[in-house]
Amino acid sequence: MSDSVLAIEGVAKSFGANQVLANVCFSIRKGEIVGLLGPNGCGKSTLLNLISGVFPADAGTLAFQGENMTGQSMDHIARRGLVRTFQLPSMPRRMTVAELLHGAAARGAGFGSLFRRDASEMAEIDGLLDELALSHVRYLPAASLSGGQKKLLSIALALRASPRMICLDEPTAGVHPNLRHHMVGLLRRINASGITLLIVEHDMHFIRELCSRCVVMDRGAVIADCKPSELTSNEQVVEAYLGNARQKRAMA
Amino acid sequence: MSDFIIHVTIMSGLYALLALSLNLQAGLGGLMNFGQIALFACGTYGAAIAFHFDFGAVSGFVLAVLAAALLGWAFASVGRNLQADYWGIVTLALAEVIRIIATNEDWLTGGAQGIGGIPPLYAGLDGQTRQLVILATVLLLVLAAGLFCRHLIGGRYGLSIKIMREEPQLAASLGYDTIALKRQLMAVSSVLAAVSGFLFAHYVSFVGPEQIDSSETFLIWAMIVVGGLGNNAGAIVGAFLLQFTFAFIPFVKDWIGLPSEYVAAGRLLLTGGGLIAFILFRQSGIVPERVGGRRYV
Amino acid sequence: MFQFLVDVLMRACDLMLVAIGMSAVYSLMKFPNIALVQYAATGGILAIVLQKIGAPVAVAIVFAVVLTGLVAVILNEFLFNRMLKIGSSTAMIGSLAVSLVFSAAFLVTVGPNPSRFRLPVSKPIRILDARITEPQLVSFAIVAVALGVFALLYFRTDLGRCMRATSTNEVLADATGINTARMKTIIVLISGVMAALGGVAIALKGEVDIQIGMDLLLPVFASAILGGLGNPFGAVAGALLISLVETVVTTINFGPLMGQVVVFLPVAYASAISFLLLVAALLWRPRGLFVSEVKRV
Repeated sequence: MSDSVLAIEGVAKSFGANQVLANVCFSIRKGEIVGLLGPNGCGKSTLLNLISGVFPADAGTLAFQGENMTGQSMDHIARRGLVRTFQLPSMPRRMTVAELLHGAAARGAGFGSLFRRDASEMAEIDGLLDELALSHVRYLPAASLSGGQKKLLSIALALRASPRMICLDEPTAGVHPNLRHHMVGLLRRINASGITLLIVEHDMHFIRELCSRCVVMDRGAVIADCKPSELTSNEQVVEAYLGNARQKRAMA
Repeated sequence: MSDFIIHVTIMSGLYALLALSLNLQAGLGGLMNFGQIALFACGTYGAAIAFHFDFGAVSGFVLAVLAAALLGWAFASVGRNLQADYWGIVTLALAEVIRIIATNEDWLTGGAQGIGGIPPLYAGLDGQTRQLVILATVLLLVLAAGLFCRHLIGGRYGLSIKIMREEPQLAASLGYDTIALKRQLMAVSSVLAAVSGFLFAHYVSFVGPEQIDSSETFLIWAMIVVGGLGNNAGAIVGAFLLQFTFAFIPFVKDWIGLPSEYVAAGRLLLTGGGLIAFILFRQSGIVPERVGGRRYV
Repeated sequence: MFQFLVDVLMRACDLMLVAIGMSAVYSLMKFPNIALVQYAATGGILAIVLQKIGAPVAVAIVFAVVLTGLVAVILNEFLFNRMLKIGSSTAMIGSLAVSLVFSAAFLVTVGPNPSRFRLPVSKPIRILDARITEPQLVSFAIVAVALGVFALLYFRTDLGRCMRATSTNEVLADATGINTARMKTIIVLISGVMAALGGVAIALKGEVDIQIGMDLLLPVFASAILGGLGNPFGAVAGALLISLVETVVTTINFGPLMGQVVVFLPVAYASAISFLLLVAALLWRPRGLFVSEVKRV
């Protein structure tokens, strides 16, 4: 496990009387792209929130890059290199896209640079905007972007925060199929530069194109941990998705 | 008459510093501080207490700045995730507690009578010259503070504060410690307020608790709303506009022939009415905050 | 001992009705309406003025209270609703501005000096070891009757049920067919009336000056928040608690604790203590004392 980037051991979480997660264990190695799947209510979003520090687990440990992150706050975890995106990204109304991208990496700047914006970063930001096809909206308020554009922007923002690992919360939900294709390419390139990815998703095509490994959850526990191609032959997985005909067809 | 105008300009400048400070907190940081006058009080009472106990003006300044930074830091630390309006009420309450303590602890603050006889600035110069030098000092400070605030807002720090203000969860997910950012912002703007207070104490030579009533905070709020929330030039414009308008109310009152209550009433009406008018009809104020239009870097 | 209880009760009565109004309107409109305490001041001052120009006391009170309620509705309709559309922080500042205009109006109508009802002079009554004056009894009676009528309305009538539904969950209430716009107007009207009655009750016991509204602001916030916003009878309990703490703090002899014979805290610290209670409530129990879970605000 020496090259494990994220290690989750015995994690549990309840909301009142509702036990959402029970004894979840798995680990992710550096450079992997792992998909986190499961039917609605299986606890994958809760797990993502726990990993990123939105709220603490009731039990269990979370280690990132060998360092214990159990119970740490979201900003602490992010500073260590574990950054996440949100399923419904909410963007500032009084900042432009360019300003927001610039500000996303302002953390850790020296005192002198407090008073100016780094011109050298402009090139990096320009490059990002081009890659995301967002150059034409760079001076618009970030909140005025379309849903799909906001999702791309949130990936760009996560990139700007010097991540070692990015957790994405349903990146393709509500996104136009053309943009989805774009996103696959973008995420592959991000991964190629050494960043580990954990993707919570429903879209099986997306998962199969990107992920080398899938962790499937059902009712708060991990029921499968395998390659995407092996999912259909896994009885437990099929049973978990039983009754959801669209997923069955997608897996066939 | 010219003495009067010089005096009003000096007071406007001191208020402008307060307005710039509150603008950083409310306009940039989204912090609804209704206890701003308590930070000013750190300045006035820092000077007064140092004088009262014979510590000297420099110690007074240090005391003022340290107290303000500490109090501002404390304000920001109170209630980690308190909603804006609740936090506003907390700051109002804390400022009132400070005023009550200042009114009652005679041994420290001179109580309700306050502390008088504080040595004036530039004591070596004679009357008219001194006024002009004070005027120049204050205006230079306002310019310096304005430039400082402008670069702070326009720089990387300003960007991080804006993200914190608008989308705190996004800011946290990018690694920003929002509490630390708030504390820093409050500490910096508190020092600015204390500088104003310190100068004020050495200008009017008297410090008393009636100067730190909550109505003064409301006046500063009116200045930044009328001037344009989030805009530094606006804060300065609002301060000068309201101060000059207030200064001429007594003349208008005399000209119309109204009794003296009308002066205070006129001020209240202008402050309240002005706020309402700008909120309803020109929410961005006289000099609005610029979003996006400005040349990027 | 009984005098102590009477003092606590009298002070609580000062706060109670206004706190109920604040609790109802804050939870309904989702912003702290600072102008509400000025409705209390208006009730008292207007009733006094009406009596001065010849109306019998009872008539003056009824007119003043009803008029104030109407003013509350008009201001809500034309000002606060529009401000709320911009944001709750804006509405809070707007309500502050409105209360400044009220202060201006008070200044020019009744002037800065305190006013009082013209009441027949009577000897205080002795009950057990306490002295209670007739006006105090009448004031208490008004508060008690108002509370009783409100309780009846709130818990025993259809209107009350609709009010409770609208306060708790406006969207759901709307979906069940309740005319929430009308309910909101009614709740605003009743809050204004309660506040005005509270002001009358204060005015009957002594004198009121134009500061009475703003002096009530923080204790009323404290009572409403401690009782849980939206819980009118929680506000009553909150008012009693605030009053108890204020009275205890200023009547306890701290002498024995400090090795002296007699050490009392200055009366002004009574309000300081209630302000600190407010801060404590907002930090640790923002949903009130009577709610078991503590959520982040």
